[in-house]
Amino acid sequence: MLNFEWLAGVPIAAARWVFLGLFMLIGGLVWLVPADYVFAGVKQRRWWLDLRWWGTGVLAMIFVTYALF
Amino acid sequence: MLSGIDYFVVIAYLTGILLLGFYFRRFVHSSKDFFLGGKMLPFWAIGMSIVVSDIGAQDFVGVSGQAYRYGIAVGNFDWIGSVPAMLLAAFVFIPYFWKAGLYTIPEYLGRRYNGAVRTLASLTWIIFFAFNLGVVFWASALLLKALMGWSPWFSIIVTATVVGAYTLMGGLTAVVMTDVVQMIIMFIGGAAVVVLGFIHVGGWTGLVDKVSTMGPEYEGYFDLIQPVDTQTPFPWTGILFGLTFVMANAYMIGNQSVVQRCLAAKDEWHAKASMIWGACLKMFIPILVLFPGLMAVAVHPGLEDGDMAFPHLIATLLPPGLGGLMFAALLAGLMSSIDSMVNSTATLWTKDIYEKFIVKNGSDHHYLMVGKVTTVVLLVFGVLTSKVSAGFPGLYVALQTFLSFFQGPIFSILLLGIFFPRITQWGGLAGLVGGILTSFVLHLNQDSLFTIQDPFLYVSWWSFVMGFVITVVVSLFTRPHPQARLEGLVFRLAPGKEATDMGKSLC
Repeated sequence: MLNFEWLAGVPIAAARWVFLGLFMLIGGLVWLVPADYVFAGVKQRRWWLDLRWWGTGVLAMIFVTYALF
Repeated sequence: MLSGIDYFVVIAYLTGILLLGFYFRRFVHSSKDFFLGGKMLPFWAIGMSIVVSDIGAQDFVGVSGQAYRYGIAVGNFDWIGSVPAMLLAAFVFIPYFWKAGLYTIPEYLGRRYNGAVRTLASLTWIIFFAFNLGVVFWASALLLKALMGWSPWFSIIVTATVVGAYTLMGGLTAVVMTDVVQMIIMFIGGAAVVVLGFIHVGGWTGLVDKVSTMGPEYEGYFDLIQPVDTQTPFPWTGILFGLTFVMANAYMIGNQSVVQRCLAAKDEWHAKASMIWGACLKMFIPILVLFPGLMAVAVHPGLEDGDMAFPHLIATLLPPGLGGLMFAALLAGLMSSIDSMVNSTATLWTKDIYEKFIVKNGSDHHYLMVGKVTTVVLLVFGVLTSKVSAGFPGLYVALQTFLSFFQGPIFSILLLGIFFPRITQWGGLAGLVGGILTSFVLHLNQDSLFTIQDPFLYVSWWSFVMGFVITVVVSLFTRPHPQARLEGLVFRLAPGKEATDMGKSLC
């Protein structure tokens, strides 16, 4: 159990989708964060200061990396 | 070895860094300025500082050496081992830490749990950073000797003097701003090696073609996701459970040298943005430190020691001038690691130990001076112990193992503490101690319990699980904290003055 042998039968392709699914899940959670919380400290709201877009951009980069490799 | 133009590049770099530290001296008037940059730092500088502090000179050699042996799977540590954790930190933990006005992460643990948890966590980091200084000094000095021919003691003394000067003068502001310069230099130096390497091997396609034809042992060399029964230390289960869920979060959320920078942000938005900007930069780090190892397989196949891959590659590829730039990049990596450890340890010692146990009601100027004296003492300690670490080649591994024992348990109480008000001080203390003991037991019996070599990812995961379970169980059997004490320390409980005062008095 300590070595996760019970997951040894999972194909690599399925494992890859576990990683990709995790990135999509985090992306969804990022957009559940309220705008007021994200913009706290900002004097004038602009779309490029919306950190949810920043988070989505970084997640897109890592999603492509894990999809390719 | 260095030529005339190389020396010019190195001397220009060192002089520039010193002048920058001297410039930021004018902003240090209080302990808050020294430890938290006066809470005036912008997100872009903090993000760059977080990333560059994480890469030492020896990482260029160590990571490319591992990539030479195991392939691209090593990149997991900078990709999935950083990005999700940095987003969790940005959106959940950092805003609460910043709003609470903390100086250290153990300070949060003290307010959320109790003084014993704070002291235990703080001492752990102080011991790790203090002894790691000597190890990093010596390992980097040996690397610089092998690459450029400088004597180890010359490298150590020059580094300690320059780092000591700008850290002492400008505090955290100087550390962060010099890190910005150091990151630019590291990126330029590292990119030069990668670009020349790709030209040499015929681009990415040429690299893959060459390595793929080298034999069955290179099958899966370009796969990030390795099977459960892989002979490398990176099975996908370990990467997912041990690295992604535990070690990455413990590092990005529980590491003083990382989080202290975010606490110094000019406002809450900058604190959050610094982590996401850092995550973006982190995506490019494997290109600099991992790709040279992959290229070395094609350029210098059959090396017995993978750690020689990087030195061989730069000896083959770099013309005069770029050699000096690469040397400056390695020095930058060394300095950014040393300044972070020194400044963070000085903060931990001054705020968590000295102010709490030795002089409780000193003046702000007194604590500023303690921070500066601690900085000098740490650097002298690092220089003196550097030679000692040479006599104990297993010291680096021992220190990393020592830290890994605490990573899972500390993250378990951080996670439970910020999300669940029902978690109590005794639950946190029992979970921390129980998790650490679990790590020891698993480590001592690793040969009989685990099937992969160096199962530190699995040890982290199971010690996290044990710490998590013990914390929950003990909390359910002990008296919950009043809500007023938890405000501002638990997710979605807004801070109140009464809560802050109560928290400070309890920790």
